Order: sequence, then C-alpha cells, then structure tokens
Amino acid sequence: MTHKMLHLAIEQFSCPKLGNSPEEYEDAWSWRPLKGNEGHRIAITDGATESSFAKLWAILLAESYTRGVDTGLDFFDTLAPARRLWQRRVSTRQLPWFAVEKAKAGAFAAFLGLHVDCKSQNWRALAMGDCCLFQLDNAQPDMRVVQLFPLSHSSEFSMGPFLVGSKVDPHPMHEHLKVIEGSLRPDDMLLLTTDAIAAWLLKRHEEGRPLWKWLYRRLRTTEDFAGLVEYARKNGLRNDDLTLVRVLDRSPVQPPKEKA
Amino acid sequence: MPYKADISRKNPGCFLFLVDQSESMEDAFGGAGGADGSSKADELATILNKLIHNLSIRCAKSDSIYDYFHVGVLGYGEDTCRPALGGELAGRTMVPISELADKPLRIEERTKKTDDGDQTVKFPVWFDPYMKGSTPMCAAFKKAAEVVRTWTEEHSTGFPPIVINITDGESTDGDPVPDARTLTSLSTEDGSVLLFNIHLSSTAGDPIELPAKPKKLPDEFAKQLFECSSPLTPFMLSRATELGMTVEDGSRGFIFNAQPMQVIHFLDIGTRPANVRLR
Repeated sequence: MTHKMLHLAIEQFSCPKLGNSPEEYEDAWSWRPLKGNEGHRIAITDGATESSFAKLWAILLAESYTRGVDTGLDFFDTLAPARRLWQRRVSTRQLPWFAVEKAKAGAFAAFLGLHVDCKSQNWRALAMGDCCLFQLDNAQPDMRVVQLFPLSHSSEFSMGPFLVGSKVDPHPMHEHLKVIEGSLRPDDMLLLTTDAIAAWLLKRHEEGRPLWKWLYRRLRTTEDFAGLVEYARKNGLRNDDLTLVRVLDRSPVQPPKEKA
Repeated sequence: MPYKADISRKNPGCFLFLVDQSESMEDAFGGAGGADGSSKADELATILNKLIHNLSIRCAKSDSIYDYFHVGVLGYGEDTCRPALGGELAGRTMVPISELADKPLRIEERTKKTDDGDQTVKFPVWFDPYMKGSTPMCAAFKKAAEVVRTWTEEHSTGFPPIVINITDGESTDGDPVPDARTLTSLSTEDGSVLLFNIHLSSTAGDPIELPAKPKKLPDEFAKQLFECSSPLTPFMLSRATELGMTVEDGSRGFIFNAQPMQVIHFLDIGTRPANVRLR
C-alpha cells in the first residue's frame, strides 16, 4: 500500500509555573526534521523540580534524542555523552557546599520521544515518566481519541514517577520504559505534553468536556495558549511548568480526481 | 481539608525544634555510658545538625537555595528557654533555610564509613550540645507559642508550623499540657500548629512509637507528653508506614523511650508536611 507523504506542522507552546520566572522553567523540547522532511524526531522532557540543574539535564536529554537515530529502548543506552556533558558543566562551576552535595545526586527528568516517518505514516514513541502523547483523529465532529501513551487516565499521575537520571542509575530501569507504535492518517493530531497539562486534558476528556477540537482548530498563538492556561488554572490545573507540542498534518488538499 | 497547603517559597514550611538542655542529657542513651563516651546531648546535636544539613540539600536548587522552610531551634534548661543556634545566627528564633545554609557555626571534617572504606566528609555544625540545670518545658512551650504566633501572622495561608520537642525528662516547671494546648490552638488557614514529642530513652526499655491511645504508657509523665502531642497528618501516617512503623488512625506524633534510630525516623516523618511535590 502506498501513502502520500505527510507534511507535518510542529508547534510548541509553553508557560512557567505561576509565580516563577521564565528562567525557572524546567521543561524542555527539541525537534529535528529528518532529511527532506521525510520524518521528524521530537522530544519533550520535564526536569524534576527537587533536583538541581534539572533544566540543563532536561535540555540535554531532549537533544540527545532528536540528534540520535535510535527509536526504541536502545536510546537509553546512548545517554553517556549527555551525562558526561551534564557532569562537566556542573563540576566546572564554583558552588557552595549545599549545591555540591545536591549535585552529587544528579538531576532527573521525565522523557517522551517521538519518531514520525512521513512516508510510511508510521510513528514510534518511547517514554519514561509521565510526559504524555495523545493521538486524535478528525473523523468525527468531536474528534476521537486514538491513542493515549504512556498514561491513559488522570488518576495514574503520581507524586513519584520513575525518571531518567543524569547519573547512571544502579537500579534496573527497563521495567519503567515504555514503547508504542502507531500510524497517522491525514488530518490526525498528535499532542506531546508534560504531566500537569496532560492530567488536566485527560480529566476533561473523562468528564465528557474534551478540549481536543479547540486544540486542533483554535490554538494558534502564544496568547491563545496563555488564555487556555489562565482558564485551566481556575479549573483544576495543577500549578507547574507547562509544555504542549502539537503535530498536525498540513498536507495540501488534493482536488478529487476526475473520473475518466 | 486541613494540612493540604503546598509548600512553596511564597508559602514556606516552618519547623521549630525545642531541645532539652537539662543536666541529665549528659548521660548516654539507655542510661549506661555510651561506648564512645558520647552523651544524649552529643548524639542529639549530631542528629539535628544532620537534619538541617539534609533540609538545606533538599531545598538547594542549582547554585542557590530556595526558602521552602524556615527553621528555629530553642534550647531549654537552667529555668529558661532561649534560641540555641550559634555564630552569626545567635539569638535568632526563626531563620530561612537559605540563611541557615549560608551561616553554619563551623564546617567540621568527619569520617564517614562507606563501602569503599572511611571517607572524609564536610559536616556543617549549627548547634552544639549544652546541658545545665532543670527541664523547664512549660517555659519552652510558652516561648514556642510566642515564636509561632509571629510566624503564623506573617504566613496565614501556609502549612501550619510543626514544633518538635525533644526531651529526656519530666517538666520541672509544672504541668506542660495547658501550655501545649495554647501552642496548638494557634493556626493558619490550613490547620492548627502541630506539636510532636520525642522522649529520649534513659533506660534500656522498648520504645513506644506513635501511640493512638495512652493506655500502654508507663507513667503520668509519659501520659502528659501523649496529651501534649498532635495526631499525625495522613501524609505523615503514610510516611511512617513506609518506614516500617505501626500506625493507626489517631496515631499521635509521640515516641516514648526513643533510641537514636527512632529519633532519626521520627524527625523524617515530622518534617514532611503534605503536598511537598518532589518534582
């Protein structure tokens, strides 16, 4: 079966925790189109607030994915250069005693990586922690949830998810790694989000008040996103750094073929 | 629902430690002389210094430190209760954690046993052992109420202060229960002040941990301390369970006849307000 090639539009929206400065925002994302736009690699990460230099680790982790080629669990075996770089950047700074002690524990981040092949229209995602991927199709007026990954219910978000560390973890991490595959159809929407907004969107979905259509059609500018965040914070969204990456197919509409 | 407020820089948590500095603190845990000659006062000072050290590291953020907690240490003995931090912080009753971390009394080098052998580590010291005179616990609760009242007025929406009293003997200036009740009647919008009590062992008896009823307590003094102690919050109950302690609904923040390990465990439980999100 042959597919027409997808032309994806990838946009990122973000907002720091209420009361924090933009410099204190500790989520990160990275995107790299593959040669000739035949595919895309996207990663979203959420640095753990209680660890030090978490923003640096979140950035290095996201970039490691988009610069690499691994699409499966092997990716987590390729983190040594990013870990060395994190260590070098931290250890070359003059730090007070408490910062030195804290840095010894390393930094932590939740991770979600997505590889989309625009020719085959297949995608593969891997995750550790509670950054989430949603796939929705535009076949019905309210949009239909096709895939939720790695968490599928708002009650699954916990205080202590297993995260990717900047130090080699002595505990086996493979049981906490998740991989999923799927295929995209024209007009589908993929959303990659950090945990707080994921939990809130899922809750709305579970309550029968989904926002998928709004995210598909109405979200255009950073002001639109700020408006959504303001509304969400008044309606149950946990105060946290927020990041949402939207992937939409923008393939040119083909005129219907005339019958011979 | 009380005890649900998030701990943040805007709404910091507050820990106030009341430390018995009476003469009997010169004895070792369990009544006998300590193997290395250390007294209850020595061991308690080490435990408290480690606790402040750990709280500082918990609040460290990259090259700075966030004021998630304010901490005070009051010592009581010699018929009075007074601030017990030393050096630049002498005389202060409540100090933001960033200032504590910046101003230890001194930084000692101590030996730590690891799998790779002995290792020299830096050990900041804020609080030195001291013991003299009697056990004026009523005075301690009165002074604590004074400190906590000021703090709650300035942080009315935050998690209420947690006061932890550590003693090895009976109050010598009267029944402490009324002063304890005055202290725990203070509150923020999130709940009443929590008062927990740790009684340090002077005998070799088994400890009684986090009782929900006073029935098994051996004497009037132990029952008084039980009466002075607040019930643990649901979050603290779950932390106690994680640490392998037996708890039930209504378990109070009280340990009788504690050995050093129970003191460390209890301080771990008592310094974990609900909703400190670790991310």
